[in-house]
Amino acid sequence: MEESQSYIEFILDGNVCRLDFHAEGVSPTTTLLKYLRSLPNHKGAKEGCAEGDCGACTVVLAELSQGGNLQYKAVNSCLIFLPVVHGKQIITIENLEKDGRLHPIQLAYYDHHASQCGYCTPGFIMTTFPLYKSAIKLDDEKIRHELAGNLCRCTGYKPIIDATKSTCSNPTKDHFSEEEGSIKKLLNEIKNNSKGIYISGNGQVYYSPKSLADVLKYRAENSDTLIISGATDIALQVTKKHEKLAHILDLSQISELKSFQKKQNEISIGSGLPLSEIKDLVKEEFPVLAEMLHWFGSTQIRNLATLGGNIVSASPIGDSLPVLMAYKAQIVLQSVDGERIVPVENFISGYRKTVLAENEIVTRIIIPKTGEGIIVRFYKNSKRNDLDISSVSAAFRVKLNQNKIVDIAIYYGGMAATPVKAIKTEASLFNNEWNKKTVEEAILILSEEFKPISDARAEAAGRRIMAGNLLLKFWFDTTKNHHR
Amino acid sequence: MNNKEKHESGLLHVTGKAVYIDDMPELPGLLHGFVFTSSVASGRIFSFNIEKAKAVPGIEAILCYRDIPGENQMGPVIHDEPALAEETLECIGQAIFLIAATSENTGREALRLIEIEIEESPAILTIDDAISARNLLQPPRKIECGSVEKGLAEAENYLEGKFETGAQEHWYLETQVAMAIPGEGQEMKVFASTQHPSETQALVAEVLDIPKNQVEVEIRRMGGAFGGKETQANHVSVWAALLANATGKPVKLRLSRDEDQIMTGKRHPFLINYKVAFTGKGKIAALDVELNANAGYATDLSMAILERAMFHATNAYYIPNVRIVGKAWKTNQMSNTAFRGFGGPQGIAAIENIIDRISRKLGKDPAEIRYLNFFGMKERNITPYQQKVKNNRLHVLWEKLIHSSNYSERRKSINVFNAENEFLKRGLALSPVQFGISFTTSFLNQAGALVNIYKDGSVLVNHGGTEMGQGLHTKIRQIAALELGISIDQVKVTATNTSKVPNTSATAASSGSDLNGMAVKDAISKLKKRIGESIAKILSEKYGYSCNSEKLIFKNNFIWDQPFKERKISFNDAVLQAYFNQESLSATGFYKTPNIHFDKVKGIGHPFHYYAFGMAVSEVELDVLTGHHRILRTDILHDAGNSINEALDIGQIEGGFIQGVGWVTSEECKWDSKGNLLNHSPDTYKIPGINDIPEIFNVELLKGYPNPNTIRQSKAVGEPPFMLALSVWLAIKDAVSAVGDHKIEPDLNIPATHEKILMASEKIKQEIQQL
Repeated sequence: MEESQSYIEFILDGNVCRLDFHAEGVSPTTTLLKYLRSLPNHKGAKEGCAEGDCGACTVVLAELSQGGNLQYKAVNSCLIFLPVVHGKQIITIENLEKDGRLHPIQLAYYDHHASQCGYCTPGFIMTTFPLYKSAIKLDDEKIRHELAGNLCRCTGYKPIIDATKSTCSNPTKDHFSEEEGSIKKLLNEIKNNSKGIYISGNGQVYYSPKSLADVLKYRAENSDTLIISGATDIALQVTKKHEKLAHILDLSQISELKSFQKKQNEISIGSGLPLSEIKDLVKEEFPVLAEMLHWFGSTQIRNLATLGGNIVSASPIGDSLPVLMAYKAQIVLQSVDGERIVPVENFISGYRKTVLAENEIVTRIIIPKTGEGIIVRFYKNSKRNDLDISSVSAAFRVKLNQNKIVDIAIYYGGMAATPVKAIKTEASLFNNEWNKKTVEEAILILSEEFKPISDARAEAAGRRIMAGNLLLKFWFDTTKNHHR
Repeated sequence: MNNKEKHESGLLHVTGKAVYIDDMPELPGLLHGFVFTSSVASGRIFSFNIEKAKAVPGIEAILCYRDIPGENQMGPVIHDEPALAEETLECIGQAIFLIAATSENTGREALRLIEIEIEESPAILTIDDAISARNLLQPPRKIECGSVEKGLAEAENYLEGKFETGAQEHWYLETQVAMAIPGEGQEMKVFASTQHPSETQALVAEVLDIPKNQVEVEIRRMGGAFGGKETQANHVSVWAALLANATGKPVKLRLSRDEDQIMTGKRHPFLINYKVAFTGKGKIAALDVELNANAGYATDLSMAILERAMFHATNAYYIPNVRIVGKAWKTNQMSNTAFRGFGGPQGIAAIENIIDRISRKLGKDPAEIRYLNFFGMKERNITPYQQKVKNNRLHVLWEKLIHSSNYSERRKSINVFNAENEFLKRGLALSPVQFGISFTTSFLNQAGALVNIYKDGSVLVNHGGTEMGQGLHTKIRQIAALELGISIDQVKVTATNTSKVPNTSATAASSGSDLNGMAVKDAISKLKKRIGESIAKILSEKYGYSCNSEKLIFKNNFIWDQPFKERKISFNDAVLQAYFNQESLSATGFYKTPNIHFDKVKGIGHPFHYYAFGMAVSEVELDVLTGHHRILRTDILHDAGNSINEALDIGQIEGGFIQGVGWVTSEECKWDSKGNLLNHSPDTYKIPGINDIPEIFNVELLKGYPNPNTIRQSKAVGEPPFMLALSVWLAIKDAVSAVGDHKIEPDLNIPATHEKILMASEKIKQEIQQL
């Protein structure tokens, strides 16, 4: 490739490090965790699950925001392919201590007896670090929410919550505050000097271009690429299935895909915008989308995962699709030939299949504002509330005219091979009164409408009941009479 | 020193500097070990071909059972667990071949290239399957007292039923790992994440056919264990040692999370059948209970686990006529194993569910029925196995907790809440634990220690116990410092090593501090005697009197003759003087628990040194439409005797309780019809997360009740709190029961997942409509 480089540059231990994949014979799909643990002094990050479900591998990535500030983000280093850290600062547990002085977070964890076996501790502390730096007000609920991507099997979490609360409620300037200026300068230099990253060898091609134009051009010429952005799903093919990924197109460096636009009648979300950033931007106008994102994955996952990725994975149990369907979202697809817009309902064509053409990528998701009187809700039924994939999820949209149903849309995840619209159930409700009796009748129809499967998460019979009950719950939540 | 001393590795934990086996510097030439395992639950190996796999560059050895120099065995008690399968395959995940590779990628590639032909045969997967096939592991066990037949025949009230508890995966954060390093001659050093280094040493020696003195096993710390590394940590050590022996190079073997979950045993699933007779007031007159355990394919510790379940099948309650029958069933699953509580949780769950049913049937508050049936202080205090319950703390715990948790008022407000809400229901429950402390295999109750004092006064303590996070080394350090009267900073506890303290028992049965603490104390008392005699001589000469060495006090870094405050010498000076006096400053210590015995045939004895007591009250709120629950509040009052370290003990209580919450709620193991475990990674196996703990969580230690005849009058605390999580399960059941106004018994087993709660609630709704 012309105009490309086979190395990445990042900051570790305060220094700019250059890693040339060709020269060092390193595979580009080496995870950040594997890389760190191969170094003599970065064994603090642990592998607990290699799938982003335990947080023991958590490290912090500091990167320049679009406004030029340093943003600290906790991430699962087990899910990050090395080229993704290009132009970022990696902060590990080993970096918190400075000149023999512990960081206040470390002291707090020590003082509160927040470690027993200690294996999860570095991960918890690194997830706490961005909270400490953010200076936002933390209550117990917020702390629990932010730390929900870290598992501890020993303590029962209470001392961890106490330690986090005590240290984050009174953050002082740490050595990172002092170094911020020089780090920004170094990151800017890396950014300004970098080209696209192209690594080829040992049966693998990995391309991480810098601009959307380069992406589209490459996509037009290469139909066999596996596209990644946050890679929180694709990475498991490497870390769990031990597969060698042959041809990767990495969109994580494309700033055009991280846009967010508010227009009068709609919003447009860049397909590469991390979920953690979307949540706050849509809170007011699309509260149900924000709520879905609140329960989506974990802090670490939301910092990497993108809406585009969740849509294109076309999972039957992905939580974003039913919500986007209820909001009548549209997917913008782009290729060298131009743009086309597909309603999200038509985007999914089968089990983990979409209508995305070989030369296209998803660039944006457009969500029209909901009209007057339209109620949208999302429900998730899973074994654990946090960091769990739904057994059944449901998104509903209803419009009532004097308690008569004039618009109804019902979407389920987990009930079929794709997210599905409950057309028969909708029909039984349409034009009827929005009361318990009609809802219960609709539930009888719903119980015949789908044939869910039994799997590790739930049984078919359980899924049927969950689906019906979620509809009842929706009805109940929209009525004011909360008592018998 | 205070009794909230920090974890001795705390600073290393928070800085990421604590070294676990996978963090150790890798020696040059280190190879990575991989295990090729059975894909069928039952079958025979027809043929295999490892040539293609062997040809992968970087593959240095592929071993099958024929390559084992010694005995092909790694069964800890009964030798029915081959290190590598020979012809017969008995479960999915059973090891067949071992691979040593220069890198992970090559090892994984070789795994894919091994060709094997297997003739599959029908598998026995569940307890029901095993009962149909009469596939008992060993003859049934029985504990019996009074006359059950008579008691049941004369019943004023009678209930019978069936109850199930599920498997639980340990989910230690650090998966099974070992590193074996061949030394000169036959020597093999193994760094093993094991709770039982002596057994690891023995099994490594046996498979290599070398004397045990050639094998050294060391463990500084584990990243969690919970019983999962009591016997099953031996496997990775045995495999790594076989590969190291074959290649002559160091080999590290670490299971991935999925491999670990598929290949290692879990908490035993139980199927419990019971018949119970009780009075109109709720006093239990007779109990006939059969405990069936799914042992998996090999014996492992199943019989001891079953036994402990039987001992705890009456928990804290006196029942005059009891028959407890225990059966362990052999199935084609991984060999189930020790897990915090060791059968106790299953036994206690059985009786707590029965009491819950009795209360519902009589329309009385279950906390009252529990109190009514507690072991008495002076009478009604004999267990079915004829051990007298002494130092009973049940009544004091109950009274304090009922008061501090505001139980009665909350019961009333919950009734009001439930009457006002159709889709939200609240439940409340109290549950006690009375846990017998000691290994029930009596000879295991022994421990050793080695204490060295160096010339500068610094003290090095070795003992047979292992550190898995519970804080054992911290407590041992405190004990040593207290006994020597020196500052804790002067004491270091080293890695557990079989060449320092031999023939140890597993760090298990909550007994780590009890046994090893006493052994350390014994060693220190020998050293104090020696130092004391030297010092008595010096003091006698200096002050011109006859100093009695036995009256010397070791305190505040000094040794002094009590009545004379000025007649003292600093500990460090004393040590040096003793050295000049040619005294040995190294001593071993030993301890065996006195007066414990149990006759397995008669089911009678005195198996426990004492009982640890605890009690919890939990309140939950249930969303009847989703099956989700929240734990609104839990209050725990626990008896740790005179706590050696309150912070550590509270940590054990909170952590054990939450682990128990996982067992009774979200942790579910499911297998398909072929015997494949479906939940083999954390995306489908859900241990409690940070949002699953009680919203209000009050945990306190019972103060003012020292325990006689234990180290510093303390009590074991590792396992007992686990069972307090039954209060959460019972509260969930209470809330489900509220769906039918407490008129219908909820059909709920363990675990009560969101799905099971939903199904139980739906069933009640349907039954109400039919009423």
